[in-house]
Amino acid sequence: MQGKVNKMNIPLDLLSGVLSFLFTILILSYLIGDNPLFRIATYLFVGIASGYVATVIWWQVLVPRLMTPLLPALNSDSLALKIFVLVPWLGMAFILMKISPRLSGIASLTMAFLVGAGAAVIIAGAVTGTLIPQFEATINFFDRDLAAARNIDFLEVAGNGAIILAGAVTSLVYFHFGARPQADGSMRRFGLIEIIAWVGRIFIGITLGAIFAGVYAAALTALIERISSIFDFITLLRTTFGL
Amino acid sequence: MEIIKCPSCGENNTSDMEFCQNCQARLQPLTGPLKGEDKAIKPGQIPTNKSTAELEPLLPKWLKDARDSARTGEEEKPAQTSSANQMPAQQAAPKKPSAPAGDFLSGLQAQSGDDEDDEVPDWLASITGDTSKPKSAAEETTDTRWVEMGNRNDYAQEDAAADADTPSWLAGLQPLEPHTEEKDELTDWFRTAAEEQKPSYQDPAPIFESPVEQMPPAKPVDDTPDWLRQMAADAEAKLEPVQADVYQDAPEFSLDAPDWLSNLGGAAMESKPESAQPVKQQESTEFPLETPDWLSSLGSVEIESKPEPAQPVEIPLETPDWLSSLGGAEAAQMSEEESVVFAESSLAGSEAEEIPSFDIPDWMKSSADDAKPLQDTTPRWLREESNLAGEPEVPAWLSGTGSFELSSEKAEETPAQSEDSEGIPAWLKAAEPHHFIEETPAAEVGPLQTPSAEEERSRPFNAEPPAFEADPTATEDLFTEMPSWLSDAMEQPSSSTPTAITNTDALSPSELPSWVQAMRPVDASASQPASLSSDQTLESRGALAGLQGVLPAVPGYMPTSKPKAYSIKLTASDEQLAHAEILEQILAAETAPVPLEVFSNLRASRSLRWLISALLLIGTILTVSLRTQIFASPSGVPNEMRNLLFISQSIPDNAPILVAMDYEPSRAGEMQAAAAPLLDNLMLLRAPRLTFIATNETGAILAERLMAGPLAVHNYTDRVSYLNLGYLPGGQLGIRAFAQSPTLAAPLDISLQPAWETPPLEGVIALNQFAAMILITDNAEAARIWIEQTQELRGTMPFIIISSAQAAPMIQPYYNSAQVTGIIPGLQGGAVFEQYNASRPGTARSYWDAYSLGMLLAVVLVFGGGLWSLISGMRERANAGEGK
Repeated sequence: MQGKVNKMNIPLDLLSGVLSFLFTILILSYLIGDNPLFRIATYLFVGIASGYVATVIWWQVLVPRLMTPLLPALNSDSLALKIFVLVPWLGMAFILMKISPRLSGIASLTMAFLVGAGAAVIIAGAVTGTLIPQFEATINFFDRDLAAARNIDFLEVAGNGAIILAGAVTSLVYFHFGARPQADGSMRRFGLIEIIAWVGRIFIGITLGAIFAGVYAAALTALIERISSIFDFITLLRTTFGL
Repeated sequence: MEIIKCPSCGENNTSDMEFCQNCQARLQPLTGPLKGEDKAIKPGQIPTNKSTAELEPLLPKWLKDARDSARTGEEEKPAQTSSANQMPAQQAAPKKPSAPAGDFLSGLQAQSGDDEDDEVPDWLASITGDTSKPKSAAEETTDTRWVEMGNRNDYAQEDAAADADTPSWLAGLQPLEPHTEEKDELTDWFRTAAEEQKPSYQDPAPIFESPVEQMPPAKPVDDTPDWLRQMAADAEAKLEPVQADVYQDAPEFSLDAPDWLSNLGGAAMESKPESAQPVKQQESTEFPLETPDWLSSLGSVEIESKPEPAQPVEIPLETPDWLSSLGGAEAAQMSEEESVVFAESSLAGSEAEEIPSFDIPDWMKSSADDAKPLQDTTPRWLREESNLAGEPEVPAWLSGTGSFELSSEKAEETPAQSEDSEGIPAWLKAAEPHHFIEETPAAEVGPLQTPSAEEERSRPFNAEPPAFEADPTATEDLFTEMPSWLSDAMEQPSSSTPTAITNTDALSPSELPSWVQAMRPVDASASQPASLSSDQTLESRGALAGLQGVLPAVPGYMPTSKPKAYSIKLTASDEQLAHAEILEQILAAETAPVPLEVFSNLRASRSLRWLISALLLIGTILTVSLRTQIFASPSGVPNEMRNLLFISQSIPDNAPILVAMDYEPSRAGEMQAAAAPLLDNLMLLRAPRLTFIATNETGAILAERLMAGPLAVHNYTDRVSYLNLGYLPGGQLGIRAFAQSPTLAAPLDISLQPAWETPPLEGVIALNQFAAMILITDNAEAARIWIEQTQELRGTMPFIIISSAQAAPMIQPYYNSAQVTGIIPGLQGGAVFEQYNASRPGTARSYWDAYSLGMLLAVVLVFGGGLWSLISGMRERANAGEGK
């Protein structure tokens, strides 16, 4: 039984490996410029990804969350359950009205709900989850007790805090574009702000450098993974076919 | 100098200007050359008499015809007078005073008098100084007579003989002149009789207005000829026995009427049957408003005597004997049936038959004695009048005046009447009742045509044709007669093209008659310019058809000169042109696109690209294929990873751990290499129950790939040791909902089975009940959302983010703010963690040499490239300096 499974897995792994290898080569062909092989790979990727997404939406969203609860809810005596089930149906019907330009206005009801609820959630989350904690974190960088609680050396914390503080302040000052007209007609910011903004440009440059390094590292990792997968496929072939 | 204001534009012009200097409209009317003959008459100016005889050729055709016919009638008048018995009635018109030859309307006057159909209007009579003439009976056709009298054959057959013997005056016993203003012999006589009579009763309410006005004027009594007096005496002698019985009970009717009239009326009243009363009542209500006194008195008598119609009333009127006898005899012979017939007949029909017979000639007497009773030969209109006048004891021809007007126009045209019309006194002619519109020949109107009483009595009532039904067309002519001149005009053959009324037909302004001058408007205001048109266009349609030159084009409105031409070419000086050129340049500069200052792009050197690609591929392929471990593993542990080791060791065994998958498949290699060491460590040490949930569509399958890939060695089973909740829709809202109520937000797993009852989620109904939460994402935004939406709900639960290297710098602040417990930044974090996991699963390490080589290569290339760029720049600047 185990042998059959292995025999079954090998062809599947081989097939997936072939396809993976093939499409990897097609994508890497972009090194020589835009070519039909690259386009074929991208088109197939878009199509397969769309089909997969549609399948996921159908099986994991519409069926379990919209259709399956419909009949039990209608057969039940609970009015709240009925409303809970029928409201999504109503919203979906409204959204489908966008197909008709004449009736697209009806969809605005559902869209209004989505936009309103989404905006409220985002703003609330941003305020409570990002702005206030970040302000507090920047202020508390020089808190010794906090550093001890986090098992971090104070000097390190203070150093990091100083750099983060300097970087945050100078970066924020950099984005201050208030200026006054000069005698020669040019517009120029205040001198101190200009200096701090120059320092802020350094921090922004470092941040962008870090981001670039991260992007490059991520891309390099992906390349390594692909090449590694190719070699893994070759190894699989060698082991499978005894080459 | 006198100023003339233009009537068109109002511009002031001098009086010597003929046309307006502004609009070129004519100021001086073209009537100037007419030598002032067309000037308007000033107030108070007396029109001058003009001789317009020579203008007859200019008259319209209809007027010419009228004048010609008038003259012809005048010429034939003497001949008719000499041979009145042989001439037709229509030619025996009374002689009319000839109009002056020079008068413009002389022809019209003659025409009206000759035609006898048209009554000269008062306005015209006042102009011409002539009085209106009485109308004569028009020619009647036999057909229309039958309508009134019945079938022609029903009348006596001796009509022919009677016609020959009947005197013309009797045949023409019809009033010829309906106008009462003209005096005749009987007028004054009747007026005198009425004045002597003191009426004790009121006049009946009249209905007819015209009959009175057209009542034949009575001639003065003094003018009564002797022969008539003799006739009256004879008649009175014959009727005297009857009167003694009949009128003895009627003293109130002792009017001062002549005896013969009184006797006639009394006889008629005595013999009037009761059945004839309705007819009389009908007539009594038709008295005109302007009833003469003498007639009013008679009418009053009639009204008063109505309650006792059958009672004989003695009216001691001075009716002539001959008339009394006629009336009484005729009334005596009037049968009741006949009266009914007449009652059913129309008023016009009954009155048309009422021909008075005042004088019975010998021929009539003889015929009456020989063949028929006297009443048979009595004219029907006279018999009827006798019956009707029975109550008021007025002669029938007097009481029947209501019908005079309508029938008088045709009476003269009757041949029998016209033959002897000259022999009849004027007052008797006037007394002749008018016929109605039904034209009846005089021969039929005569008494010989009246059917005898015996015949009528023997005739079935129903067999007698009604007067109205015999000829319906006769009633259509009622009140529709038109003057002969108009009839002639209408009888003119109409041509397809209307005859133009040219200016030659119009009267010359210098020859206008005086009366036309008098009709001209008074020159109360400024004279208007006359028509200046010379357009003689003939109007062929519309209301102006046949007129010529009535809608002329005013030449004054035509421009006489071309408008002044103005050049549109701009004349400017050189200085102005220079300024304009500067302005154009400024405007052109404003609108001209300014080329953007673009930095010179780094020219994509194909060789450099191939070089870099080759270096990366070669280094990666060599390191991966050779599985080299040239580069050492990272030794240091960053602060964000330090807590991870602690957490992995502090998590309880078999604790539920939530793993959120939120990265793209393209990042699967990196994310698996970064996440596998931590998960492997956890699964190896604590064997946690993993619950995967994805916030993107591919997250669920990536979770399966992760479990089937690097973590497959742990043999985790779905729904036993791990659970895949699948895709969580809704983005931030879904994450928020899941954080608030995981059981409601994701009730089912990826296989659509209830998730929260499975072993991996046993005892977990809230987010904070998980032992730890691990977010694997390649997107800093996704990490931020998870951090923000779950911060308040996850409590003290450790939150670990395994991120891509590109997202780690953006997530780092959340670690610094203690919102995130630890971060594993990409392959480098995985490699670090593998060192603390006994190098398991080893993926990170297998990539590390290639990764390190690639990073080193990148540093070298970036640094080398920068250095190359610097050197090349310096070289270019040096060359540029040498060149300068």
